[in-house]
Amino acid sequence: MTTTVPDSARATSRPDYAALIEPSRVHGSLYTDPRVFADELERIWYRSWVFVGHESEVPESGDYVRKSIGPQDIIMTRGRDGDVHLVFNRCAHRGNLVCEDARGNANAFRCPYHGWTYRNTGELLGYPYNKGYGGKGNLDLSLGRVPRVDSYRGFVFASLAEDGPTLAEHLGAAAGEIDRLARLSPEGRIDLGAGWLQHRTRANWKLLAENETDGYHPQFVHSSIFSVTGSPIGPLYSDNSTAVTRDLGNGHSENDLRPEFRRHGETLRWFGTSESRVPNYVARMREAYGEAAEDILVEGAPHVMIFPNLFIAEIQVFVIQPLSVDECVQHSTAVQLGGAEELNSRMVSQSIGSVGPAGMLLADDTEMYERNQRGLEMRQPEWLDIRRGMHREALDEDGYRTGAATDETGIRGFWTHYRRLMEVDT
Amino acid sequence: MSERDSNTGDAHDVTPYAPGAGTVRVDDSGGGIVGNEFAEVGVAVDHSGNGPRLRLEDYRTGRVRNLDALELETIIWLPEERLTQLLDPSTTRWREEPDR
Ligand code: FES
Ligand SMILES: [Fe+2]
Repeated sequence: MTTTVPDSARATSRPDYAALIEPSRVHGSLYTDPRVFADELERIWYRSWVFVGHESEVPESGDYVRKSIGPQDIIMTRGRDGDVHLVFNRCAHRGNLVCEDARGNANAFRCPYHGWTYRNTGELLGYPYNKGYGGKGNLDLSLGRVPRVDSYRGFVFASLAEDGPTLAEHLGAAAGEIDRLARLSPEGRIDLGAGWLQHRTRANWKLLAENETDGYHPQFVHSSIFSVTGSPIGPLYSDNSTAVTRDLGNGHSENDLRPEFRRHGETLRWFGTSESRVPNYVARMREAYGEAAEDILVEGAPHVMIFPNLFIAEIQVFVIQPLSVDECVQHSTAVQLGGAEELNSRMVSQSIGSVGPAGMLLADDTEMYERNQRGLEMRQPEWLDIRRGMHREALDEDGYRTGAATDETGIRGFWTHYRRLMEVDT
Repeated sequence: MSERDSNTGDAHDVTPYAPGAGTVRVDDSGGGIVGNEFAEVGVAVDHSGNGPRLRLEDYRTGRVRNLDALELETIIWLPEERLTQLLDPSTTRWREEPDR
């Protein structure tokens, strides 16, 4: 791993993560210290598996989209070989950005600075006026390639480390949550091609990751959207709820709302609709899954935070992109399900209502993130308390730590994994 | 349009750019722009001759090339490596030697 700081200097200046992360509290400097952010880039964002995009965003050969791994600009392409490739958006000549557009179709890219051309898989095709290089094909250069790329049900992940755990090992139980989303499609197919909204947020990325499965805040922060829309979601996050918060390991966590939906036993309650509104969808689901369709339609979509940056919020997907210690971008899109047209148009309009420019859900959360970041810059008290529900946690039948709907079980799971990654020596 | 002049070259069988020269009748089924951030090319099936041909126009320079059916078929059958060679800028447009 390349670093500009000499090893000796870095060793003495590194924060002591064991001292900053305790089981029931974490230190405020983890959200405000630029050294911590620099460490996170090396130990988490440029090493661990990070979600980049979905295969459905580049359906055709030659398609490309600009993506990111933290501050790194990444181009996701579909090669002539039919495979998805990830390359860094940096010309091998003198480093210009090669792609400017957010998306397009190109089998070859041409750098605008001196006209070098590249195959969309990264291979250098040529350069103008080749005598300056002693002729054609004399340069052993290419676009930077992401060392490891793998996907699960079309969700493309990258690791900038040559080796380490496999994607399957990293996802662990979280893969089952992606399965739960896919099986809401009668074709078992997820599409994330509806387009992404971006919200720049003046807050540390971990505030977002923690908040995604924090079942304690919705009744306060989101009370206005719940009352305006008459949504049944609010009561799912209360002390009387039978929903649970689960630490899925590896920093992943979920709010498992299924116990509440099973208790009501109504199909599509999770989506705030009824069978008569989406008859073709329901028919196709029964055709595809037979008797199992009832459970699928009752239990609904997952609410899972996949470490460190992919949040599947039932009908939307969020991606957290950190830019600096106190700034990030939230990317969001509506989930689209293969063969579920009636659901898809509703998912787009619900997403616009919650995360669109005038949406009511994400704006509420973001207000909290930015206030939180400012609050954390105050000197006292130094710690954040994350003990809620520790006394009432239990292991479920699969061995995962589970707390009540409003407990901070997911947040503690995040920090356990985070500490493990941050303490490893590079 | 000095940029165009400097890039016109003398390659054979290329129609020199002549704004407004001739009328291109575009067939209903085709015609349009194939463009991305790297290049923009106008594409039309031209029926002004005795038979149809594909008219390609580089919108950034105005340079035009017409391709007949056999030429198009040839492009379709061009081995991948040959196409790749053509995408090396110093093979075609940006080379020191004059066109042969
Ligand atoms: S920096 Fe890209 S061609 Fe020079
Ligand atoms: Fe200049």
